[in-house]
Amino acid sequence: MRFLKKKFYEYYLKPDIIFPSRIDRREFAFLSFSDTMMRRHISFPTRDRLLYYLRINAPAHAYYSSAYYRRPDAATMQEKEWMGADLIFDLDADHIPGAFESGYENALRMVKEEMKKLLDFLLEDFGFDKNKMHVFFSGGRGYHCHVFDRRVIELGSGERREIVDYITARGLDMDSVIVEKEIFADGYSIKKVEIMPSLPSWRGRIARGIIEFLKEIKSMEREDAIKKMMELEGIGRKIAESIYDSLDEERMKRIEEGMIDQLSAYKRLIKPLAKKLAVSLHSSTDEPVTADIKRLIRLPGSLHGKTGLKVEKVDIDAIDEFEPLRDAIAFGDEIVEIEVKKPFSIEMNEERYELKKGRARVPEYVAVFAVARGFAEG
Amino acid sequence: MDLHVIARYPFLEEAREWVKSEAVSIEEVLNEAVYDRARERAMERVKQAVEKGIIKPYPCVEESDCVMEIFSYPIARMIVAAVESDFLIRRYALAEAKKAYETLKNEDASFINFMLEKFGISMHDGKIHFTDYLKYAPTWHSKWKLVNRIMERGYIRLEKNEMARLLQEAIRKKIQDELFYLFAPPEVRKIFGELINRLRAKTVVKEDKKYEGEESMVYFPPCIKSLISAARNGINIPHVGRFTLVTFLNAVGMPIDDIVSLFRSSPDFNEEKTRYQIEHITGKISGTIYSVPKCATIRTWGLCNPDELCRKVSHPMIYYRIKRGKNEVPKEKVL
Ligand code: SF4
Repeated sequence: MRFLKKKFYEYYLKPDIIFPSRIDRREFAFLSFSDTMMRRHISFPTRDRLLYYLRINAPAHAYYSSAYYRRPDAATMQEKEWMGADLIFDLDADHIPGAFESGYENALRMVKEEMKKLLDFLLEDFGFDKNKMHVFFSGGRGYHCHVFDRRVIELGSGERREIVDYITARGLDMDSVIVEKEIFADGYSIKKVEIMPSLPSWRGRIARGIIEFLKEIKSMEREDAIKKMMELEGIGRKIAESIYDSLDEERMKRIEEGMIDQLSAYKRLIKPLAKKLAVSLHSSTDEPVTADIKRLIRLPGSLHGKTGLKVEKVDIDAIDEFEPLRDAIAFGDEIVEIEVKKPFSIEMNEERYELKKGRARVPEYVAVFAVARGFAEG
Repeated sequence: MDLHVIARYPFLEEAREWVKSEAVSIEEVLNEAVYDRARERAMERVKQAVEKGIIKPYPCVEESDCVMEIFSYPIARMIVAAVESDFLIRRYALAEAKKAYETLKNEDASFINFMLEKFGISMHDGKIHFTDYLKYAPTWHSKWKLVNRIMERGYIRLEKNEMARLLQEAIRKKIQDELFYLFAPPEVRKIFGELINRLRAKTVVKEDKKYEGEESMVYFPPCIKSLISAARNGINIPHVGRFTLVTFLNAVGMPIDDIVSLFRSSPDFNEEKTRYQIEHITGKISGTIYSVPKCATIRTWGLCNPDELCRKVSHPMIYYRIKRGKNEVPKEKVL
C-alpha cells in the first residue's frame, strides 16, 4: 500500500486533469486508500484548489458530480439545489454478458465496440456535436461518454430514460420497423413487406441490419449459414432452412431494394437483430444509470485506485487506435522490483508480461498495475 | 390579435394583455351584472372540467360573446385556486388543454408555428429538436416513444395534429404551474362559495387517498412543522395556531381522525371538543371550509419561522406544493 500511495503522490504533483466545465458548480467526492467511507460534498471554487487537494491527499479514487448545483457542498440534495446535469453514458464490461471470460484486455475491447455503437447513435440519430462530447476510458473496466450540449443539461430523468431506451432498443415497436403493403396487380392482391434501408433511425438501422445479415448468410455454405442463423434467439432449424433455401439472386436483389415478399420467416430476424444493433447499457441487476440526473463520475485525468491507470480521454475519430493498456498508462518505465503473490499475465505498452510468484523486475507502470490489482506487493 | 383567437386560447399572454387593456377591475368582473355571463361560463368551465374532463367550446358569434369567454377564463382560475385542491388543479389544467387541442388541430401551420414559438419550441421545416419533443410528448404511449420515431441528427418530423398534441401538454403544464402559484382573493370565496364548497367536498375526498401519512410531512413549511411538534409535545397552542394547523392539514388531505389525535397530548385534551372544533373548521359542521391563512397573517400571529424557500412564497400551501413537486429524486449512483 505504501508503494501505491507513494506513486499516486508522485503522479498528483503534475497530473493531467481534464477539468469539467463550471467546476464551481460541481460536487466532488474522494476515496482514499485507507478510508472505507467516501468523502463527499466537497466543492472547489477554482481549478487550482482542486489540484491542491489532489496533491495533498493523493486519493485512490476521485469523482465529480455530473450535476450542477447551486450549492455543491451542501450536505443534502434539497439544499444543494439541482441546476442541471451532463448526460453520461457508462459502458462497463459488467454490463456485457460473458465479457470477462476471455480476460481483462478482451473485455475492454468488447466495451470499446459497444462505445462505437453508442457514438453512432449519438452522432447520427441524436445529432450531437462532436465538440460537445467527450469519451473517456474509465481507468477500470469501461468507457464513459459525457455529453454537455446545452439542450440536454436540463432534461429530467424521465426524458433521459427515453434516450437510454432509444439506444438500447427498449420498447421498440417491431411492427413499426417494417411496413406491410398490399399491392394490386392483374386483379390479384399480393402482400409485400417493405423495409427502408435509407431511412434514419431504427427503421433504417434494422433494414440495413437485415440486408447485411442476409448477404452474409447467402455467401456462406448452407450448413454454416443455418448454424449462424440458429445462434439468433427464436430461430429454429426449420426457419433457418427456409430462409437459406429461398435466398436466390433474384430475391436478394429485391430485398436490397427494400422488398421482402415472404414475410413470416424473415420477420423472426428483426427482434434478435435489433438486440445485436442496440447498445448493451444495462447490467442485469443495475438500473440504467444514465437516466439519473445526479451521479458521481470519475474525474478525467485522475488515477483509478484499482489499476493505477489514468482516466484517459479517447479521440472520437481515432477510437479504433485507442489501446487502454498503452494510452492510459500514467507511470514511467524505470525498472522496479516487486514481489508477485499471484501469477498473472498482462499486455501493457505493447509488451506481454507473464509473471510468476516471487520477485520480479518490471517497468514501473507494470509494477503499479500489479500492486493496484492486488497481484503483487511493492 | 383577433378576439376570436384570444377567446379560443385565453391562457395566452395576448389574452392577459387584452384583459389588462380593458382596464376592468377584479371587483367589477366579480360583481357587475354586465359580467353575469362571464361568471356563468367560468363556473361551467370548472364544472365541465370536473365532470367531463374536457371543456366544451363556447359558441362565439358576436364580439361580445368573445369578451365573455375571455373574461370567464381568469374567473375560472380564481375559482379553482380557491378550492385549494391539487387534484382539481391538475384536472382543470388538463381539461383546458384538451379544449385547446380540439381547435388547435384545425389551425393552419403558421398558427401552430406561432404557438410552438410561444412555448420556446422552434420548428425547422416541419421538424423539432428531440429535447423539445421529450419535454411534451406522451411517451408512455408506444407510438410516442422516442425509439419508435424517425429521428435524424436530433430532429423529428411531426404531423400537424401531432404538433397540436405536444402543444396540449405544453399548455397543460403552463396552466397547472400558474395555478399552483395562484392565490385567489377572498372575495371569490364569497361569490362562488357554494360551488367552491361542493368542489372541495368532492376533490378533497379524492386527495385523501393521496395523503401519504408521515411521509408528506417533510414537505410541510416550517411554521406547520413547529406547530405539529408543539402539539405532539403537549404544549398548549393558541387558537390561531390550531386554526392554522387544522386548515393546513385538512387542505393536504390528512384524515380528520389523524388531526384529532395530533392534539391528544395536549394537557386539556377533550376528544369531543377537539373533534367539534376541527369539524367546524374543516366545514363538516359549518358548511364553510376555512382556507389556510396567508403567510402575512401567520406572521402577524407570531407563528412564522421562515426558511430559505419561504422567501419565495406568500402562502404555506404554495410552499408545500413547490417542495412536494421537487420530490422525485432518484438515488444516486457512483461509477
Ligand atoms: S413564510 Fe409562510 S410558510 Fe414559511 S414559515 Fe412563514 S408562514 Fe410558514
